[in-house]
Amino acid sequence: MEKKVLLAENQPEFGAGFELALTMSPADVVFIVRDSGIKGRGGAGFPTGIKWNLAGAASSDVKYVICNADEGEPGTFKDRVLLEKYSERLIEGMAIGGYAIGSSHGIIYLRAEYSYLIPTIEDARKNMIARGLLGKNIRGKGYDFDVEIRTGSGAYICGEETALIESLEGKSGFPRNKPPFPVNSGYLNKPTIVNNVETFCAVPHIILGGPEWYADLGIGDCSGTKLFSISGDVEKPGVYELPMGAPLKDLIDLAGAGDIQAVQVGGASGRTIPATETHRSLSFDDLPPGGSVIVFDSTVNMLEVLENFMEFFVHESCGQCVPCREGTLQLMYAVDDLISGDICSEESLSDYFRLAEAMRITSKCGLGQTAVNCFVDIINNFVDFTDECVSGKCCCERGDR
Amino acid sequence: MLRNPEEIVADGIKEFGSEHESIMQLLTKVNEELSWIPTIAIEAIAKATGISVAEVYSVVSFYSFFSIEPRGRNIVRLCSTISCTMTGQGKILEALIDEFGIEPFETTDDGRLTIETTPCIGLCDQAPAMLVNGEPHVKLTPEKACDIVHGLE
Ligand SMILES: Cc1cc2nc3c(=O)[nH]c(=O)nc-3n(C[C@H](O)[C@H](O)[C@H](O)COP(=O)(O)O)c2cc1C
Ligand code: SF4
Repeated sequence: MEKKVLLAENQPEFGAGFELALTMSPADVVFIVRDSGIKGRGGAGFPTGIKWNLAGAASSDVKYVICNADEGEPGTFKDRVLLEKYSERLIEGMAIGGYAIGSSHGIIYLRAEYSYLIPTIEDARKNMIARGLLGKNIRGKGYDFDVEIRTGSGAYICGEETALIESLEGKSGFPRNKPPFPVNSGYLNKPTIVNNVETFCAVPHIILGGPEWYADLGIGDCSGTKLFSISGDVEKPGVYELPMGAPLKDLIDLAGAGDIQAVQVGGASGRTIPATETHRSLSFDDLPPGGSVIVFDSTVNMLEVLENFMEFFVHESCGQCVPCREGTLQLMYAVDDLISGDICSEESLSDYFRLAEAMRITSKCGLGQTAVNCFVDIINNFVDFTDECVSGKCCCERGDR
Repeated sequence: MLRNPEEIVADGIKEFGSEHESIMQLLTKVNEELSWIPTIAIEAIAKATGISVAEVYSVVSFYSFFSIEPRGRNIVRLCSTISCTMTGQGKILEALIDEFGIEPFETTDDGRLTIETTPCIGLCDQAPAMLVNGEPHVKLTPEKACDIVHGLE
């Protein structure tokens, strides 16, 4: 069942949440966000209130509020829809974040692929300025805040928050070592919060509705609602809003799909499951609720899907650490060999599975750690070695087995 | 008339400043105006920001939207991720290659067009999709894609 808050037809006026926040102390705003239980909507699921509390406690005259609008995970387009329709809500959420942590400076890091949205976001900013909700001494409270838009330039890794910060600083997008964490030392080494577009968009609703109301929107222990982008073999691809913790099946029913072979949840770096597992829940405890869901019907060759994703990771690895740079390449070669028939038994893949495990453990950032998910899942769930050879032109005949 | 790269950089510095953190904006400005980033622009940015030429160059080479090779004045970026390939991206790419006589990442001799493939551009709900000079075009067919590209200046 859909449960619309962020995408609701009738929404509170833009700015109402910010105005209410301005009547509270910054610490109270942080507590409301913390008590709502909201976890970051960009994938990693870190509790937003805890992040804001740390940045608020960091002592510095200058702090930064950064919106991660780099949305690069294959299959994800929810942030694009929010930017198209709710840029004011986003800026409002950033202004609340700035008030909460004591920052006057917001930056929206927009992926270059979304540059055509700059005029829309600029218009939203101008509307906020015209209404006195951005600028100096907002509502006479002695609080200043403004946002600027900066663009990436076609690098998926810049969605990783420390790579994003490097990029903003005019450098290549190589993820940093953590600690220090951005809340202490982020953009220009100042305390910085980086949050996803959807996270910021949810904040004004949380302020207006209260933390209990928001927490109760989710199912079970999950808090709030979540946007999902669904595409692939479905009748009505698009963005749907569901309670966090909803079964994947509910989302698929909304989008309409008859013949399902596989569903990928959480993008290329997420999990790929067979149709028999669609009862599982979209939540931080089960299927990654990052935002992307792609449905594959029975006509799709899942090895070709895997090949497409491994090429993606090879292309997008920043190359900084060996397990990821070399590992993604080796896994891609293994997939090519599976497709060509040069590998056709599970035993010949065991080294690759060990490599995948090593990548998961030793890669420096989330890209290398999660690039192995599609490899492991697709091979385990969708390649049948007991039957005939996957390719039909098998190496067994050559006696390699 | 295309402006001289140094002039673009000088303009950019007035707009964005000459701090290290202005480099991406300066590069983006040159890249958007000229479709690529000539060495003189890299040198001008290095000089203005006080960063070595090698470092600015390494930034340019990191980002796939930047190019150190001349590209066409029109850039087509066809999405090559799964939701687009499942809905006929392959046929569109073939049609573009046939019609315009260039492979991905090549430029036509008259300097009018460069075709590139690119990972997910976030238009999966309207696949197959492409960006033409940054503007989205969706629900493509081979004919529609070729018509759009023919219509460019
Ligand atoms: C390879 C990689 C790509 C990422 N891409 C994005 C992205 O496009 N958008 C995003 O919000 N977070 C992305 N993240 C997560 C960010 O590092 C960070 O956790 C997030 O922006 C924090 O915001 P949130 O707590 O509101 O989710 C990515 C992480 C990794 C490792
Ligand atoms: S895991 Fe990959 S993307 Fe991340 S730092 Fe290492 S090489 Fe770069």
